[in-house]
Amino acid sequence: MDSHTQDYCRETIAAIITPPGEGGLGAIRIAGPDSAKILNSLFKPAHDPESIAGYFILRYGYIIDSHGDTVDEVTAVMMPAGRSYTGQEQAEIFCHGGQFVLKRILKEIIDRGARLAEPGEFTRRAFLAGRIDLTKAEAVADMVAAKTAFAYESAKNNLMGLFSEKINSLREQVIDILAEIEASVDYPEEDIETADRDEMIAKIGNIISLVGELAASYRSGRIIKEGFRIAVAGRPNAGKSSLFNALLNQSRAIVAPVPGTTRDYLTEWIDLEGIAVSLTDTAGLRESQGVIEKSGQDAARQIMKDSNLIIWIADASRKNFASEIEIDLKKLEGLCPVKVILNKIDKLSLKRLKAAKMIARGYSAVVISCKTREGLDNLRSKLVSLVSGSLPDLTDGLVVTSERHKQKLDLALESLKQAESDFKQNQSPEIIAFNLRQSINEIDEISGRIYNEEILDRIFEKFCIGK
Amino acid sequence: MKHSDFDIIVVGGGHAGVEAALAIARMGKTSALLTMDKTKLALMSCNPAIGGLGKSHIVKEIDALGGVMGQAIDATGIQFRKLNLSRGPAVWATRAQADRIGYNKFICDFVAAQSKVTVIEATAGDILTEQGRVSGIRTEDGQTILAPAVIICSGTFLGGLIHIGDKQIPSGRRGEKGAYKLSQSFRSLGFEVGRLKTGTPPRLDGKTIDYSKCEAQPGLEPPPFFSYRSKPREIKQVPCHLTYTTVATKEIILANLKKSAMFSGQIHSRGPRYCPSIEDKIYRFSDKPRQHIFLEPEGNGTDEIYPNGFSTSLPADVQHDAIRTVIGLENVEMTQAGYAIEYDYCPSYQIKPSLETHRLPGLFLAGQINGTSGYEEAAGLGLIAGINAVLYLQNEPAFIPNRAESYLGVMLDDLVSHSTTEPYRMFTSRAEYRLRLREDNARDRMIEYARRYSLIPEDDYRSFEVLQKQTRAAIAMLEKKYIAVSQLDGYAEYFVKRQSISLADILKIPGVEYKYIAKFLDNGDRIDNEILERASVAIKYSGYISKQEREVEKFRRSESQKIPADLPFEKLTGLRNEAREKFARFRPTSLGQASRIEGVTVGDIAALSIHVRKFTAQRS
Repeated sequence: MDSHTQDYCRETIAAIITPPGEGGLGAIRIAGPDSAKILNSLFKPAHDPESIAGYFILRYGYIIDSHGDTVDEVTAVMMPAGRSYTGQEQAEIFCHGGQFVLKRILKEIIDRGARLAEPGEFTRRAFLAGRIDLTKAEAVADMVAAKTAFAYESAKNNLMGLFSEKINSLREQVIDILAEIEASVDYPEEDIETADRDEMIAKIGNIISLVGELAASYRSGRIIKEGFRIAVAGRPNAGKSSLFNALLNQSRAIVAPVPGTTRDYLTEWIDLEGIAVSLTDTAGLRESQGVIEKSGQDAARQIMKDSNLIIWIADASRKNFASEIEIDLKKLEGLCPVKVILNKIDKLSLKRLKAAKMIARGYSAVVISCKTREGLDNLRSKLVSLVSGSLPDLTDGLVVTSERHKQKLDLALESLKQAESDFKQNQSPEIIAFNLRQSINEIDEISGRIYNEEILDRIFEKFCIGK
Repeated sequence: MKHSDFDIIVVGGGHAGVEAALAIARMGKTSALLTMDKTKLALMSCNPAIGGLGKSHIVKEIDALGGVMGQAIDATGIQFRKLNLSRGPAVWATRAQADRIGYNKFICDFVAAQSKVTVIEATAGDILTEQGRVSGIRTEDGQTILAPAVIICSGTFLGGLIHIGDKQIPSGRRGEKGAYKLSQSFRSLGFEVGRLKTGTPPRLDGKTIDYSKCEAQPGLEPPPFFSYRSKPREIKQVPCHLTYTTVATKEIILANLKKSAMFSGQIHSRGPRYCPSIEDKIYRFSDKPRQHIFLEPEGNGTDEIYPNGFSTSLPADVQHDAIRTVIGLENVEMTQAGYAIEYDYCPSYQIKPSLETHRLPGLFLAGQINGTSGYEEAAGLGLIAGINAVLYLQNEPAFIPNRAESYLGVMLDDLVSHSTTEPYRMFTSRAEYRLRLREDNARDRMIEYARRYSLIPEDDYRSFEVLQKQTRAAIAMLEKKYIAVSQLDGYAEYFVKRQSISLADILKIPGVEYKYIAKFLDNGDRIDNEILERASVAIKYSGYISKQEREVEKFRRSESQKIPADLPFEKLTGLRNEAREKFARFRPTSLGQASRIEGVTVGDIAALSIHVRKFTAQRS
C-alpha cells in the first residue's frame, strides 16, 4: 500500500481545485469525516445564520477566520458520504479567484485539522470508495492532462465508462464460453446441450479479434496520450534547425502532455489539428566534434527510433544529393517511417529544380525552401494527414491509451489464442478452461475487479442440471 | 475446571460425526458420539452412491488424512466407475454405488472397534457453557455429559420438517424423529439459525421394473477404488440403468404443480439449484422433451431402487402416477414416497475456517449445519472439525488447508467467505487451481498434514515417501530418455522439425497416456505401472502448474497477510457501509479471504489493510 491511501480512513483532506493564476472564481474541496465540522466552523451564512446546512444546497455567506475577521464572501455546499465525488463527506467552497484569498481560506481549513491533499488523492478516494473502477480513475487523470481534442475525446470515452463497458462485455463473453465448458466438465452424466465445438471455436475467434483490435489500438492510443513524435534529422547543414523553427512558427506551441520527455536537445510541442506533436531537433548532436561525436550519433539514432516519424531533410543544392539520400535511407531502415524533405530549392536553377522534383517524386518527398518559405504550407498539410492518418476515428471506436491496459490485453490475448488452438487440437476441456480463466484474470486486473462465483451462476441459468 | 467425561463430544452419527470421532481417536483423544440410533451410523439417507465430480476428490483427501469413507465404500461398493475419462486427469472422478446397508454396517463395526469412541444413544438438547466456553451437552432426557469441546453434526435433524404434498411431518430423516430442543439452544445462545431445503425421490421396487426398455450402465473393470489402502480385488458389479421421462410425465406434473409443497408456497427455504426436484426441472425447462432418470440399485440383498433425478415433494398419489409414465416404470411399485425436507442450519459466517464458532469457543460445527450438502462434503468437514477440536484442546494452531492445495481448503474458504443461499455442493469449477488438485495427487498434497497430526500410521508415511522418491526418479528418467520421432505412430506430426524426442515431451501431447509410452521403455527402465502413471500425470501438468505459479504465489502472499481476530470490524471508519457490514459479518482472518467476500471491492481491501496495519502497530 502506498502512502497516499494510508490515511484514507481517518484524515480529512483539502486542496484548491481550480488552476493557479487569477480567475473569476476559485474553488476549494474538503473531503473526509470532518468536512462538515470544518466547513461549519469557518462559514457563516449571510441569511438565517442559525440554520443547519442541508446537503446539496448552495449557500451564500462569508468565511470568517479564527480572529473573527471576514476573509471573503463565498458560496459553499455540503455533500453526504456516499453521494459525493470521493464517496466521503465532502464540502466545496467557491470564493473569489485570486491565489492569495484561496490560500488564506485553505490555511484556515488546514488549521482546523485537515491535511493538504496529495495530487490525485480525491480520485484515489473515489476509487477506494468503490465509486469508480480503475479504468475510470485512470481516465480522470487523462482527462485532466488532456491538452488536445483527441486526448480529450479519448479520456471522455473512458470516463463515460465506454472502456469499462467494453472490457466487461469481453469478460462476459469469455465467461459464457467457460460456463459451457465447465458445465460439460462438472456434469458429465447430464444430457445438457452445450454449444458444439465449431461454434465455440468461432466464439473464441471472435473474442480474440475484439481483444486484438483493442490491444492494437494502443499504437494510436499512445500517440493520443503521449503525442506524435517527429524527429527532424539530416546531414550537417541540410537545414534541420531552420525547418524546426519554421514548423514551430506555423503552429500553436503547447506544454508536453507527459512529464519526463524533455531531453538535452531541443524538443518542442505543437498542436497539429488537435493532436499533440513533438518536434525534436537532432542538430547539434551529430555536428559536434571530438569525443562526443560518437555518443551524439547514438543519441540521435535513439531519438529517431523512439519517434513515430522521421523528417529526413536533404540539401537539394548538393550535386550528388540523390545518391546521398539513397545511402542515408539505407541507414534509417527499420527505425520508423521516414518522410524525405528536399530543402534549399531556392538555390536551384529551373533545370535542376525540375530534376530535383523528378527525384522527389520517387521518394514522395516534399520540396521546400526554408529561406523563402516556399512549400512549407504544403509540408504542413502533408504532416497533418500523416499524423491524423495514424489515428482512428474516435466516434466509432475505443482506443487503449494506457500501457498497463495494453499489457494486460496482450496477456489475455495470449491465453485466448492458446485456448483456441487447444480447442482445435482437441485438448481436454480442463486445459481449455485453464487458459480461459487465465484470460479472465488478466481482464479483471484491468478494471480492478475481483473474481467471484459468476461461472456457477451462469451454468445454472443456462442449463437444466441436476439429479 | 470440572471433571470432564470425555475429551470431546460429537453430536450426530452421520458422515460428518463419524469422521470427526474417528479422527479424534486417531489423534489419541476420547469422544462421546451421540446418536439417536446406534445402528444407523453413516446412513445414506439420499442416493446410495459415493463420489462424483469434485466429491471424489474430497473422498481421496479424506482418505489421505486417514479417514474411513474411502475404505468403507471400497469394501461395500457394488459398482465402480470413472467419470470424465475423456476430459483430462484433473477432472477424472471416481463414483461408486454402495450397498446402502452394507456401508452402514461397515461403519458401525469400524466405530465399535475403536475403543476411544463411545457411542451413546441420546438426543442432544442443550449446549452447555461455562465462562463463555462450551462445557458439554445436556441430552433431551436430562443427562449431562461434560467435555471442553463439542462438535455438532446435526444433518437434516435440526428442526427437520418433511413435506409430501400438503402433508407436513416433523422428522429428521425418513421416519426418524428430529432434534428440536437443540435448535432452540442455538437460538438462545445467540446464533442466527436459517432454513434450508433438500429433497429425495421415491424408492422403487426393482422387481416391478422392465429393464429391457432401459439402457444398462455397467461398472468399470477393474474397479477403481478410492482408498490407498484398498488392494485390487474382484467384485461382482451390478449395473445401473438409464431411462427417460415422457410427455405424459410432463402433463401429469404440470397439471399437479400446485400440489407440490415447493410450488404451493408451503416451503419458503431455498433448495439446491444443482439438485432440483422433477417438478422444478419440468416447469423451468418446459421446452425440453424429456428428462433422464438413473435407476440405481440400493444394495446386494435388496430390490430397492433409487430413481436418481426424480426428487419430488408432490403428494404420494401424484408421485405414483407420474413415475409410472417413465419408460420401463409403467408397472412400478413405490416402496416409499419422495419428500422434501426443511432443516435448520447456522449460516456459515458464524464459523472460523477451523469450523469453530466465533461466538462460543470450543463449539465446532460440521456438515449440513454449515449449509453444505452431500455425504462427502459432510465427511470432509467432520474430519477437519475433529482434528481442530483436538488442536483446540492442545492449544495449538488450527489445521486450515488452503485453496491452492485441496478441495477441503476450497470448501472451508467458500463457507467462511460467502453467504449460503442454497446448500453448498462441491464442483471442480469452484477450484481456481484445479489442475493442481487432482485425485491422483491427493496423498502428495495431504501427506505432511497426515503425519503432523498422526492421522495415519508411520509405516504408511514411510512407504509413501518411497513411492514419491520413485516417482521423482521416473520423471527424471522420462525426461532423459529420447526416442526417434520416426518410431511414433500417429503423433509424429507434433514434432515435425525434430529428429528425436523425450518421452516426457510425448506425454504432453493431448490424449497421450502412460500406457502409450510404456512400450518405449527397455527392460532396464521398466517401472511399476502405478509409478509410471504418477510420473506421467505430473509431467503432463508441469507446464500449466508452473504457468499458474505466479498466481498461486500472489494468493499465498495475500493469505499470509493475517487480520487479528480482535480487529473491531464494526467500528472501522472510511469503509463503505456494505463493506463494513460484510467484514463484521464474516470476520475474515486474512486479507486474501477478505478479498473473496462477495461484493467487496479492491478499494475496500486497500482500506481494510490500512486498518490492519494501524491496529497491529498500535498493539505492539
